[in-house]
Amino acid sequence: MRRALLAITGLAAGTTALVVLKGAPGAGQATPDVPAALAPVVPGGSAAPEPPSPTGSAPGVTPSPRASAKPTPKPSADRSAASRGGTRTRTTPAAPRTTTSAPKATTRTVTGPSVTYEYGSLQVRITLSGSRIVDATGIGLPLGGQSGQRSDDVQARYSGTSGEVVARQSANLSTVSGATYTSTAYKQSLQAALDKA
Amino acid sequence: MGTAISLDVADDLPSETLHELAEDTFGWLREVDARFSTYRDDSEVCRVDRGELRAADASADLRAVLAACADLWTATDGFFDAYATGRLDPSGYVKGWAAQVASDRLVAAGAPNHCVNAGGDVRVRGHDADGEPWRIGVRHPWDAAATCLVLTGTDIAVATSGVYERGHHVLDPRRGVPATGLRSVTVVGPDLGVADAYATAAVAMGAPGLAWLDRLPSPWQHAVVTEEAHLHHSRTLPTLPPS
Repeated sequence: MRRALLAITGLAAGTTALVVLKGAPGAGQATPDVPAALAPVVPGGSAAPEPPSPTGSAPGVTPSPRASAKPTPKPSADRSAASRGGTRTRTTPAAPRTTTSAPKATTRTVTGPSVTYEYGSLQVRITLSGSRIVDATGIGLPLGGQSGQRSDDVQARYSGTSGEVVARQSANLSTVSGATYTSTAYKQSLQAALDKA
Repeated sequence: MGTAISLDVADDLPSETLHELAEDTFGWLREVDARFSTYRDDSEVCRVDRGELRAADASADLRAVLAACADLWTATDGFFDAYATGRLDPSGYVKGWAAQVASDRLVAAGAPNHCVNAGGDVRVRGHDADGEPWRIGVRHPWDAAATCLVLTGTDIAVATSGVYERGHHVLDPRRGVPATGLRSVTVVGPDLGVADAYATAAVAMGAPGLAWLDRLPSPWQHAVVTEEAHLHHSRTLPTLPPS
């Protein structure tokens, strides 16, 4: 038996706050009642880090059917695709996977346009399995000069995981960690959606 | 705290017992709120701050919190500072500490499989209702509806501090100005109060916080998203592959 329970402490509004959920401002590509992590990632725009925007538009990996970059399929050319996307064996308990009609997801890589930013120019290559991102890599990281030095420092300390462009990620989540300081932020959070589920 | 608390008890216990456990847990957290809130003039913290109550005469819980904050001030080179705003505000430790205590109490009460989430600070123990390790998403710092990382574990504390929420900032206590450089810091370890304080301290440090986090001894681990939208994390961080 399982019980998921929640409450808001220190709030006069109490649990009524929990009824209101969506109406997410800004990047609201999530469909109601579906935790966004489970939805296909289809924001628009260029595929590279942009200066953080206060409006809530997310930088990072932003593939779109309408993206300016033409998809350049490179089947099985990406090592990450093979090691991370292709041979994944994690079992997902809750979701019964008996969909026989679903086409087998194919893995492909898409390289975004080169974008100039503070430390040089950068391209982002993403690997997709079906409509989901399974890997994202920044390519064309700056070399030489001061910015190259910077990258080397980071690489040395975080080899293997360095400089990963922040990507959206999907999973069958139990909960969400985040800097949620206000009840307003909670209402818009993925955690709220999970609590509601 | 004005904070949303989510509790998921996965133990196979009678419904009545589960509700009792939940009531006890929320009762404890309300008690913490009443005593530690900086928004309630009559809270113990505010009375100590105004000098109406000597710290030495405060409750055992508050004295323990103040002692922990002092230790954390030392451990973080002064970047975790319960007095950063000019008045006593131990919230950066209290939220995680309260959830950690709640989790400890659940174990003691016979519910060793649970997930407590206090305003984004998470303490998980055991397994979920399906017998799987808990899966903790880390919020995407530019998108409240997405995650940028998924962690998994059966006995871990996960705290995230960040400056992506509108109007929120973390003060660099040495300069008295909002810290910049790190958008979001997630710390994983055995104690949620300490994890919360470490995460806040690293955000306050700015970019040098990366190096500081890297020097934390095992089993502490971290994931950082910089203002440039780069994700760095400990090599041994218990992440799940994207799905």
